[in-house]
Amino acid sequence: MVKVDDKIEEAIKEIFSGDKPWVTIVWDDPVNLMTYVTYVLMELFGYSREKAHELMMKVHTEGKAVVSTGSREEMEHDVARLHEYGLWATLQRGDQAI
Amino acid sequence: MTDHDSDEQHGFHRHGDNAFVAEFSESEREVLINLVEQIIELLGERTDNHVDDPLAAMVGITTHDSPPEDEVLLRLLPNAYADQVDAAEFRRYTESTLRAKKYAHSMSMRITLKSALDGIIEVDHDGANDWLGAMNDIRLALGVRLKVEQTSHEELELLAPDDPMRGVYAVYSWLGWLQESLIVALMDEAI
Repeated sequence: MVKVDDKIEEAIKEIFSGDKPWVTIVWDDPVNLMTYVTYVLMELFGYSREKAHELMMKVHTEGKAVVSTGSREEMEHDVARLHEYGLWATLQRGDQAI
Repeated sequence: MTDHDSDEQHGFHRHGDNAFVAEFSESEREVLINLVEQIIELLGERTDNHVDDPLAAMVGITTHDSPPEDEVLLRLLPNAYADQVDAAEFRRYTESTLRAKKYAHSMSMRITLKSALDGIIEVDHDGANDWLGAMNDIRLALGVRLKVEQTSHEELELLAPDDPMRGVYAVYSWLGWLQESLIVALMDEAI
């Protein structure tokens, strides 16, 4: 049986994301609770607890993190859902400097 | 982001598979109703007073393409793009939907509170998500007014007893703790 964990899934996604050059970025803010950010990423994107926690820590320590990759339309949808839950998110082209 | 301890005994607890329960005193219930109603009112201020094009209104296109001037509303309805032109275009097509969703979270929280005359709140998973979204909006609003961005927690804790912001900070902290208790209860099922 082949087992695909989050890291492999991410690598596969990158292989296919050549035509999907947009990213959703979550920015750090002082109000949102760390557990809340983790919970929202799990709930909205179906990420495992480990992956969501890792992304949250990246936001917390580096000030921002790419939380999803895809077409512009998909990223607009993701940003809208993150805004609904009060996370500070923006989208941009993946090849643009963050 | 902030971290929050939640070892106190109140707050939300999981009851069975899909129920989250909290018990509030009458004054706590009043505070929560008051706060959530203020968010509802604030979101309403952004509603279009006059819509020239009923079809546009029906499909959710607003006349707003500039960001809210009010700092709190801007945090609740932020720009989706760094680029101002893209941000304005996105806002024109999506802001009314975002407002409606936030309004729905707050209304859901308000209805639960209003009908819980004994102070006992019980919500399912979806109801809990409404509460989390609404409580977070309240905390974002209070956070802007408390200038949490520019002020350390130590400074906020040292506010003078007669400073009204001291009370606001107490409510803000309590809400953070309450929100944390609900997240912990929800995450229990995710393991």
